[in-house]
Amino acid sequence: MNAVGAVPARPGTVVFDRQAKGLTGIAVKGFLLSLATFGIYRFWYITNLRRYFWSRTIVAGSPGEYTGRGKELFLGFLVALAILVPIYIVLFALGFAYPPLAPVAGPITFVFLFLLGQYAIFRGRRYRASRTFWRGIRLGQDGSALAYVGLATGWWLLTLVTLGIAFPWMRASLERYRINHTLVGESRMTSTARGGMILKPWLLFYLVALGPLFASILALLVANDFSIPADLMIADPGKPGKFVFNPDYAGTPLAIYGGVVAIVAAIFIPLALFLIPYYRARETRAFMNAAALGTACLHSTLKARQFYWPYIVYMLSILGYLAAIGIVLGGSAYLIQTSGLGTGAQALLVVGMVVAYLGSLLLFAVLYVRVITVRLWRAVTDTTTIENVQALDAVLASSRRTASGLNEGLADALDVGGALEIGF
Amino acid sequence: MFEAVARPFRSGRGGTLPMTVPAEAIVATGTLFDGRSARPNPVTIHLGERLEITGAGIREDWSLFDIRAGETEPPTMRIGVAGSPIRVEFTHQALAAALAARCPDLRVDDEKRGGVLRLVLWSIAAGVSVLLAAIYGVPVAAGILAPLVPQPVEMRFGLAVDGQIVSLLGDPPLCAEPAAKSVLDRLVARMTEGAGLPGDPVVSIRRHAVANALTLPDARVIVLSDILAKSKTPDEFAGILAHEFGHVAARDPTRAVITAGGVSFLLSLILGDLTGSTVIVGVGQAAISAGYSRDAERAADAYGVAMLARAGGDGAALAAVLERIDSDADTEASPTGFLRSHPYTRDRAVKIRDLAGEKPQGRQVLSEDDWQTLQGICAAEPAKPATDRNQRP
Repeated sequence: MNAVGAVPARPGTVVFDRQAKGLTGIAVKGFLLSLATFGIYRFWYITNLRRYFWSRTIVAGSPGEYTGRGKELFLGFLVALAILVPIYIVLFALGFAYPPLAPVAGPITFVFLFLLGQYAIFRGRRYRASRTFWRGIRLGQDGSALAYVGLATGWWLLTLVTLGIAFPWMRASLERYRINHTLVGESRMTSTARGGMILKPWLLFYLVALGPLFASILALLVANDFSIPADLMIADPGKPGKFVFNPDYAGTPLAIYGGVVAIVAAIFIPLALFLIPYYRARETRAFMNAAALGTACLHSTLKARQFYWPYIVYMLSILGYLAAIGIVLGGSAYLIQTSGLGTGAQALLVVGMVVAYLGSLLLFAVLYVRVITVRLWRAVTDTTTIENVQALDAVLASSRRTASGLNEGLADALDVGGALEIGF
Repeated sequence: MFEAVARPFRSGRGGTLPMTVPAEAIVATGTLFDGRSARPNPVTIHLGERLEITGAGIREDWSLFDIRAGETEPPTMRIGVAGSPIRVEFTHQALAAALAARCPDLRVDDEKRGGVLRLVLWSIAAGVSVLLAAIYGVPVAAGILAPLVPQPVEMRFGLAVDGQIVSLLGDPPLCAEPAAKSVLDRLVARMTEGAGLPGDPVVSIRRHAVANALTLPDARVIVLSDILAKSKTPDEFAGILAHEFGHVAARDPTRAVITAGGVSFLLSLILGDLTGSTVIVGVGQAAISAGYSRDAERAADAYGVAMLARAGGDGAALAAVLERIDSDADTEASPTGFLRSHPYTRDRAVKIRDLAGEKPQGRQVLSEDDWQTLQGICAAEPAKPATDRNQRP
């Protein structure tokens, strides 16, 4: 294939633009206009980003194509608001009218938004697929969002009941549902993802990060016969409305094991954060390797360290920047104080801080796109190859209707599903 | 006709008019995708006065005006015809440059309507209107909605808030020395008689070392005992009560809840997804709510002065007690003044004295005996330490 076209990529490879030229402009414009338009421009910004990333991702010699519109996302967002606003008002009024209901209003809202969020994730994916072209062939997604919500809810409940042991199987099951309902033209993708594939990375994450925490909590419960005294926390005599630890329990197993739980949490929760990129890299690789389109299948050699570098670079840049800003602001504040320049200089300092704040936000936003998004994206694309790529030539276009952007607007209103999801 | 073909000059490679002077022909190879299958078809691309694409069983002939290019990373270029699924991909730089020069509508977006500027202006207009609704519309709406809240609902709400506030204050004991309580009840009854309050106020005095009084939904007024201790005359104490009844009359607590909910909702609506918006929403909501609150305080002051005068007291006494209990009575205007829930005490006192006018000679709301009795209302209760200085009457 591609016998004639002098295509830069070897057949069967997936590559992403080396230099990412023009991306900074998109990010700066997107951030500033979002600021000026009270955030409304973000739908056009996301669309520009996607068009950029899709068109710079060259799959088997042909770049992808994103045909979505900011307007579609914005209309979807308005419709989502029309649905969500009355719900919020009803929940607010309920909490107001029946104060006993107020404590449960939070959990009810959470459950409701979780269900709606899963729905939005699936339908948002459908919108993105139907706006994606490759070699002039439109991608698509079928399957039922309600079925997906049911599946996700069932698996999450099981995961909670098993204290997280079922997590890999949940991920695999949902991945299979998503991929098996993804279409390229008339060809259906298939996924053979199984929980066992990601059991090892998950167990490592689980044992290192969550295991000690669960163990210490269990020890606490066992040591106290699974009962926490009701007067463990008493009203602080010094501070009304605050609660303090009841000194009567000092030195009891309860206090000792409680301290152990606190120390374990302080050590292992940050550790858990450090292990997330590792798990995500392993999962992405396993699920990519499990995906196929007909007899053409994906092959990924993604390394975990490729998911760490972007975060490390980003963090170091931000720390360096903050140190520099702190020195500049602290120095000028000191100068103003010692030289007694009065309110004029103070006002200048305040203005300087506001400008520095907005400038920092802009810088972080651009840096995030350039460092984290680009590098994660490239880590996935550049380690992926397509085996038996000739089989893709047989893919035929479909006459499916395109999905509407309404449901992705819901995803935005609920803040689920990022603009650019890494992997499938 | 001339105008239409003259447009290619804009792109810089002027001098060749496609229809009149034969342009230099460029031949390149590429790949055609027919939009029906993903099979790549090797083709030869010939750019002359029109674009001719030929290959095995393929013969396309496109007008240069119809050609559109998709976004790609140079040197890869993907072209097609508006409205057609056929795409041709190539990496020939000279051909790409020639197409850019000769196809006037190469980068035209056929579906795009309206520019970014229009979007920006409309968004700013929408944002400003939501902001104005938050600042001016919500308090009006809250004022209309508050009286519509059914009595049982407001009662339950008041009960719940009462419990929360009392526990927030550290469960200060209720002062109910019987003789003093009856003096208080008589005083309240006399002050509120014919005042047309939405409900009969329930005044409770609690032993607490902070000079403060609060009005809660459902006409519940909590007075902390330090107010009583710091009041030198019965008029001063009654002035505080009258101020709180001003809040009851205006249904301020219920209005404040509705206002706070509405404002934070509207602000997070327009600032929803912006980085750092939580801070902006927080400060904005605090500023707007405090603005309403200051207006409500001024109204309650005016109401209190009038009520006190009706009950036979001296309105100016409210100013005196406010100055006494407020530690920052002399505070100058500061940059964070817009966040204050209460106006500056100095300004309040001036306004109150203005409204009260001349002091009525020899009149007090309570006789000296009753006043003595009332001051003993907390005699039986132990003291509570002072901590909460955030709220003022």
